[in-house]
Amino acid sequence: MQTIGILLARSTYYQSISFDLYEGLRSGLKHLGKNDIRIVTENIGFGADKQQCYRSAEKLLLEENVSLVIAYIGHRMAQLLRPLFLAANKMLIVLDAGANLPHEWPACPNIFYHSLHNSLGASIAARQAVNDGYTSAGMVTGYYDGGYLHTYGISKGFEENGGKITFNHATGYKEDDFTIAPLKDHLEKFPNSALLSLFSGDFVHWYFEAIKNSFEGKNIPIYLPPFGLEEMMLADAEYPGDNIKGIAAWSKKIDSEENKIFIETITATNRTPNIFSLLSWESASLALKVIELIDLSKNNMTQIASGIKSFTFKSPRGTIYFDSKTNTSISPLYNSTIIPNSEGKCEIQIESIANDVFEHFQKLTNQNLNNSTSAWYNSYTCI
Amino acid sequence: MEAQKKILVLCGGKFAFKALQLLAFEKFICAIGIGKGSHTIIDALEREAEDNNFGFKSFPNTKSISEMRTWIDRIQPDYIFCISFPFLLPESVLAYGENKFINFHPGPLPQYRGPMPIFEVLKNQETETAICAHFMNSKFDEGNIIFNDPIVIETGDTYGKLTVKLSEHLAQVALNTANMLQFGNNIPNEPQDETRSYYYEKPDLSDTYINWKRMTAEEIISLINACNPWNNGADATLLGEQIKIISAHLLNEPHENQPGTIVSFTTTLNIACEDKKQIAIEILSADQGIMTASQFIELKPVLAGIPN
Repeated sequence: MQTIGILLARSTYYQSISFDLYEGLRSGLKHLGKNDIRIVTENIGFGADKQQCYRSAEKLLLEENVSLVIAYIGHRMAQLLRPLFLAANKMLIVLDAGANLPHEWPACPNIFYHSLHNSLGASIAARQAVNDGYTSAGMVTGYYDGGYLHTYGISKGFEENGGKITFNHATGYKEDDFTIAPLKDHLEKFPNSALLSLFSGDFVHWYFEAIKNSFEGKNIPIYLPPFGLEEMMLADAEYPGDNIKGIAAWSKKIDSEENKIFIETITATNRTPNIFSLLSWESASLALKVIELIDLSKNNMTQIASGIKSFTFKSPRGTIYFDSKTNTSISPLYNSTIIPNSEGKCEIQIESIANDVFEHFQKLTNQNLNNSTSAWYNSYTCI
Repeated sequence: MEAQKKILVLCGGKFAFKALQLLAFEKFICAIGIGKGSHTIIDALEREAEDNNFGFKSFPNTKSISEMRTWIDRIQPDYIFCISFPFLLPESVLAYGENKFINFHPGPLPQYRGPMPIFEVLKNQETETAICAHFMNSKFDEGNIIFNDPIVIETGDTYGKLTVKLSEHLAQVALNTANMLQFGNNIPNEPQDETRSYYYEKPDLSDTYINWKRMTAEEIISLINACNPWNNGADATLLGEQIKIISAHLLNEPHENQPGTIVSFTTTLNIACEDKKQIAIEILSADQGIMTASQFIELKPVLAGIPN
């Protein structure tokens, strides 16, 4: 019997994340007709403890003898695990939020990144702001979200398309410290500015509530990346105004047979489908491809990597393929706006599929980060 | 939290500098030993070691290796990393501890054993090389392999360019290995597959010499790149003179000339190859010094009858 290992992270504000990741994989495998594959889990906390992550991966590889490991971690933690997977000649599939930008896009035959592309989405959302006529913008984020290099993606995306970042605001870490008060002054000085905003989880709730309370009726232009448009959080967020848009990685409203099946299957397990269960549902297709290639190539990792690079599959968010230079999956992204529901909360309206996603990704990977660094090891949203 | 592992690094000079910086930044290094090395490099390393409270020792020749075991016993490192250290470590030193010595070989093992794998992979027109981390035994490059960490060779990479790229990559590989030793309970490793192994001796003139009659244009370009800059270019005979070709590119134009003769010259000196292609020499070294192809042409009145 084949065994797949999965490293599960936990999060204070996405409390169900490890269940979502597990259920997505389990249901995905079942949907693909593979009930006979054993899944072994290991807990990696917030994904920030190097020893815990390393030992968990080591246990899966050396004690459980898994065929491959799936892990919700970032590039930095994947880099730490790289020699272990090279030495064990096993494949690591990183489920990547895409919030950080690595200094060197690593291409190792043993590691593939399956991404939600938060930085890429942030960068495209910034371009959208320029296309909508905004030449001035402020970057708004928090202590936690601001520690990932999607900050670089969103500000560079705005400036490279002709805009100018005229102010930055990073608010506190706890709810009591959360404030957007300085935005009032900034917007008085630069009244035609868009707010390029990077928040996730509970911070989205606090941000929207604060925007509503401070700027009600003013319809401040706000641009968001995929995690700002995460539907589970939006469902409980106050609707703050009529001018909020951005780039979504996925929505329940994507009209496709694959999405319908995914939503129905996850809902039938009494879970709410979200981007985490989506990511691991998709990873089931990848995992099966890896297992097939292990068999075909007699465990030759170069041949397995080559097979994955040319692998495409249909997922609930569209067709997914790989950039061979960075071993990273590319998926469709969606131009979206936020609309109110009948209870005054938020929901997504998909407007169209974003253009030139791959070209934009290539540009992003070729960017010089100008010594910008991130110290966060955490799997994104895991605090 | 377990105590940070203490690593002693034995190196051969500049190639290891980035790895030393990163390992020092992450507080893994406890001492540095250098084999051979220029006075400038030894002085620079010794100063850095003093400033950071690391142990330091220079091993200028084979004889000095006899002092290594006593030095290691005094430092008591958890592991010893070797990065281009030029001397073979004797059994008496390796007896400090089993699986305590790790070498970072700048080429894939077991296929590219030997002192200059960077030259060999370029000469052999490989598209990928690797840094191999392996446990050391008393023979060069033969201990159990921990992993080969691959790196792409790009078109136009010279020995110099690839060395710089490998040195940068090595820093991350060495840090990854240090983390592996810090956090791992068990370091997976495999004996080398002797059926795939090959030991390349240090290249001599027969390895760096362009044989116009037997080598294709692409093989010649690869050899030129593999010799730049360490050998000041690939050795060749042109117009009866011994020269070294430092830089050249492929010219995909057919010809009817004898291999090794000049077909034409413009800003480059275009030489016939046996596969009917040409190479365009840009920079070369002759008895008069290093010069561009144009400068070389000016020195040769004999070229007057050749098309330009």
